[in-house]
Amino acid sequence: MTEQRKPARSDAPPQDLRRERDEFLQTFTKGSRLAEEFLAEHERVQERVRALEEENARLRAQVQADNAVRDLVETIARLEAEKAELLSRTARAEAASTQVVTRFSEVESEFAHLANLYVASNQLHASLSPRSVTRRIKEVLAQLVGAERYAMYLATGDGAQLVPIASEGLAGDRVIPLDVATTRAGEVLRSGSAVVDEDGDPSRGTPETPAAILPLTVDERVVGVIVIIATLAQKKRFDTNDFQLFRLLGQHAAGALVSASLFVAAGRRLPGLEAFIDLSV
Amino acid sequence: MAEYSCLIVEDSPMMRQLLVFALARVKNLRVTEADDGVDGLRKLASARYDIIVTDINMPIMDGLKLVKRVRSDPQHKDTPIVIITTEGSSEDRQRALQLGANAYITKPIQAPQVIATVKELLKIE
Repeated sequence: MTEQRKPARSDAPPQDLRRERDEFLQTFTKGSRLAEEFLAEHERVQERVRALEEENARLRAQVQADNAVRDLVETIARLEAEKAELLSRTARAEAASTQVVTRFSEVESEFAHLANLYVASNQLHASLSPRSVTRRIKEVLAQLVGAERYAMYLATGDGAQLVPIASEGLAGDRVIPLDVATTRAGEVLRSGSAVVDEDGDPSRGTPETPAAILPLTVDERVVGVIVIIATLAQKKRFDTNDFQLFRLLGQHAAGALVSASLFVAAGRRLPGLEAFIDLSV
Repeated sequence: MAEYSCLIVEDSPMMRQLLVFALARVKNLRVTEADDGVDGLRKLASARYDIIVTDINMPIMDGLKLVKRVRSDPQHKDTPIVIITTEGSSEDRQRALQLGANAYITKPIQAPQVIATVKELLKIE
């Protein structure tokens, strides 16, 4: 039997083709892998780009926020400065206002003092009747000074005694002539200087420790004294106004009394023109 | 601007003069003076006053009687009254206020206090 030769398989590639095929497959596989790697890399890059864009957006937003904060901080600083300036201006205005109020109050107080002095002086010289002048002196003491117990004395011709000519709020046995040599009132007559309890409560004065003793002068001669033993209970202290009134009483009360007495002694006749002719200075 | 009228009832010419001086400091306040309570009532009968400032111790009719009479007069029953007196005790103050006085000032008077009291009662700035 004849060995029948098997025909060569037609699909068996030749060696060179196989090699070429293998090379192609290798190349294809490599290309495919590279393509996959490229796609993966592309995906990563896209991811990275998105992340960077997000980061960028976030940073932009942050920068914008920072700018807004910076603007706000600057605005706050400006407003704080304006507030400080306004507060300073307000404080200055308040200080000025307080000064004006204080000054106004001082002026009103000074006006009141001057009004008191004017009224007292006006009243002392508004009459030429000794009785009326005495009543007016008492009014000044009671109404303006607030004296409750007091007495007015004039010195005798020899200056040895002080004789009471008017009083208020004192028992009769208290209103007696005083010895100039041995009493506090006499001491004031001799020295010509007032004695006033400036620190104590004048409403608590006593005959032994009077609230004030004021010399009465006529043409710089001390002719008598006013003794204020005590003031009204509500008058707890002598003030500037009182000291001015004391000075006014000291300088004008006795003069007004002397003028009134001389006028009465002259028969209430006014002096003629000849009495004033030689007065030119 | 509104104009106000004030009646001062005081027997002492010196006190009247002082009160007139003080109240002259209140703008648009016209002041009329009366010598005592009777004179005060006579003036109140002939004119309307926005405020009365009266002393307590006066001859003929004292300030407290005047306050009573004024409060019983329909025309002046609501007129503010300021009492001025030498009495400083709280009992005197209470008595005057119970009779219908609106304010109480003790002597020796201080002009700024009188001005402030009158302004307050008249509601003047």
